[in-house]
Amino acid sequence: MTDRIVCASGVELLMDFLEDALPADLRADIEDHVASCARCTAFVASYRATPRIFRAATLARLPEDLEESLLAFLRRRR
Amino acid sequence: MPVPGAEATDEALAVRAVAGDEPAFEDLVRRYQARVYRLAARLTGNDGDAQDALQETFLQVYRNLGGFRREARFSTWLYRIATNAALGVQRTRRRRPADPLDAFLPRFDAEGRHARTPAQLQVAACAEELLDQRLLAAKAREAIERLPDGYREALVLRDLEEMETSEVAAILGLEPAAVRQRVHRARLMLAGYLSELAGVKP
Repeated sequence: MTDRIVCASGVELLMDFLEDALPADLRADIEDHVASCARCTAFVASYRATPRIFRAATLARLPEDLEESLLAFLRRRR
Repeated sequence: MPVPGAEATDEALAVRAVAGDEPAFEDLVRRYQARVYRLAARLTGNDGDAQDALQETFLQVYRNLGGFRREARFSTWLYRIATNAALGVQRTRRRRPADPLDAFLPRFDAEGRHARTPAQLQVAACAEELLDQRLLAAKAREAIERLPDGYREALVLRDLEEMETSEVAAILGLEPAAVRQRVHRARLMLAGYLSELAGVKP
């Protein structure tokens, strides 16, 4: 167990950590830190959930009437 | 010869469209219009702006198809046009400068430990349970608008449209490492923003 990782340095590397893009020793250091740190465990849960929450909250569907009106617009303009 | 029943590739349709095949161009429009609209809505935060960006995107695609080089994927080329169109519409319409989201980056004490409690750090993960769905939708759009320029499009393409980092890099003309750095910082800001929204003051 090393002290190479504190919360702040772990947060800097979090995306690479979650995408398994770190060297094995660094990855293990972060795993050790997160396992022993309730704050990082909680923060990782929020960080992981954030893209999914924003994806769901910003989902927009093309209105049906726009589908044909776009083609009509483009026919007029060319 | 096209295989019967097989869908033409984007690139094959583009080549036919360049040669004046109007139905091939319209097939490309039908194939991508919903995705371009969704992307534009996320980048502009506004349905009317998304509609304008959608029209502008396909007008530019039509006018510039001759410049499409087949060594790039058609979708990469199209999404570059769509991203620029959406950001252009958003820039001209922005009513007031958006307050930046930097204030929501995580905070640490002098030893580099998280300054907040576990409960405060966890709360963003429960935002959907804690917040009204319509409020969350409105605030999510506002938060994306408040991301710094350069971070907004990286986050939207990578995390909301779920594209590979390499494709986002090709669309934005950045190195993959730069895309990852921007997406990461944008996620940190959005996570902090969600925490505040769900109950923690910054």
